[in-house]
Amino acid sequence: MSEERKVPKRGISTYCFYPQLGVNMDLEDIFMHMQDMGATGLEILADGIIPGYPYPSEEWLNKWFGLIKKYDIVPVEYGHWVESRLYPGQREASLEESLEQLIRDIKLAHYLGFTCMRTKLGVISETLDPVSNWREIIHEALPYAEAFNVVMQPEIHAPTKLTDRMVNDYVEFIEKENTKYFGFNIDFGVFQNKPVPEMARFFREDRVSKPEDIIPLLPYVHCCHAKYYNMSADFEETTIPYREVIQIMIEHGWDGYLLSEYEGPHKEDINHCIEQVRRHHVFMKKILGQ
Amino acid sequence: MLEYEGVQYKGFRNIYNEEGEATGFQVGIRMIGYRGAWLSEFRFGYIEVDGEKFLADRCTFVVSGVEYTYEETFNLGRVKWPLNEAMIVRVQKPGGLAQGSHTVSALYGQVASYVPFGSGELDINQKPGGHGHSESFGYTREMIIV
Repeated sequence: MSEERKVPKRGISTYCFYPQLGVNMDLEDIFMHMQDMGATGLEILADGIIPGYPYPSEEWLNKWFGLIKKYDIVPVEYGHWVESRLYPGQREASLEESLEQLIRDIKLAHYLGFTCMRTKLGVISETLDPVSNWREIIHEALPYAEAFNVVMQPEIHAPTKLTDRMVNDYVEFIEKENTKYFGFNIDFGVFQNKPVPEMARFFREDRVSKPEDIIPLLPYVHCCHAKYYNMSADFEETTIPYREVIQIMIEHGWDGYLLSEYEGPHKEDINHCIEQVRRHHVFMKKILGQ
Repeated sequence: MLEYEGVQYKGFRNIYNEEGEATGFQVGIRMIGYRGAWLSEFRFGYIEVDGEKFLADRCTFVVSGVEYTYEETFNLGRVKWPLNEAMIVRVQKPGGLAQGSHTVSALYGQVASYVPFGSGELDINQKPGGHGHSESFGYTREMIIV
């Protein structure tokens, strides 16, 4: 038996369709699209996807496990937030208030079958530096992450650059703790090197990461937000150098999930969202040689 | 099911007391977003009908069947306004709204700890109408009272 080439796997985030959920589509509709595209990996934004969050009903849990099985879905990443401005006047929630939220989500993520979490901490700067007590919060949560076998991952998102000090701080923390339960979700928007015409005011020319900047981080990356803003009719993402980034991933044997995350305009148009995600998966399949 | 719009048509009607007098009206709102709001992070600006603004002191807020004043929501960091549920805002207006067409607006939002602070302190201090760096939404819809 020949050794199988390691390549990234494909999936999607429910974010692609968020304004339509509960209006024109539900979770099963997303699963049907995933099945059509052979995109098996799933990220949910737990809060908006789990009715009654953070306390789902037995009925919904049964439905969840049934649908996962029916559509061969791999629960990859559980998106959640640790609120730091939870109460009026608050700038940074206490350790206890933060852990209550985080541990609750670790347990629920595990129960639903997820192996990663997109752990969104509160920020205190324009370049998204996390709350000052983030080390304490994560340190205290690590035994729970280990016991429940889920990796906490902050998302590295523009305008943060992969070479920023905060990313290095995270790496130093991982090495000091010697843990596999804290890592990164790299959002491909960090590589965006051209503005999206309708969204030009959000583009920061001075905050673009180079594809090779991801190399030292890859050992700590379990899945990525495969951000796309504009998929052309000939199946190209026009603002992010996907080919270079994915080529680097393949060269380094990275085989985590690329989770489609549509952040372009016209999310109010369900047909546009469906067309964009289909184009995105044609694009990724081409790059992955599938 | 929810309607796409922020201001929800379902639930839009006058409110009556036991004597049958209209004491106000109610209207539903939803978050067009990807997460619901802990009530302590809910921010309310106003409901506006035909140019008349109703601030938080003339409104109560119904979430999952339970009615709260705005002040009561401030401490409720463990109660969620679910994303898939319209919040019913009950507005005091003696006589209610007249039969016929109205222009209805709503301004509301939620604090977003994961985005940078904005320019003002209003939002953190939860003053009505303060939306400095919350995810805030203002929506307008033409609606009919029957």
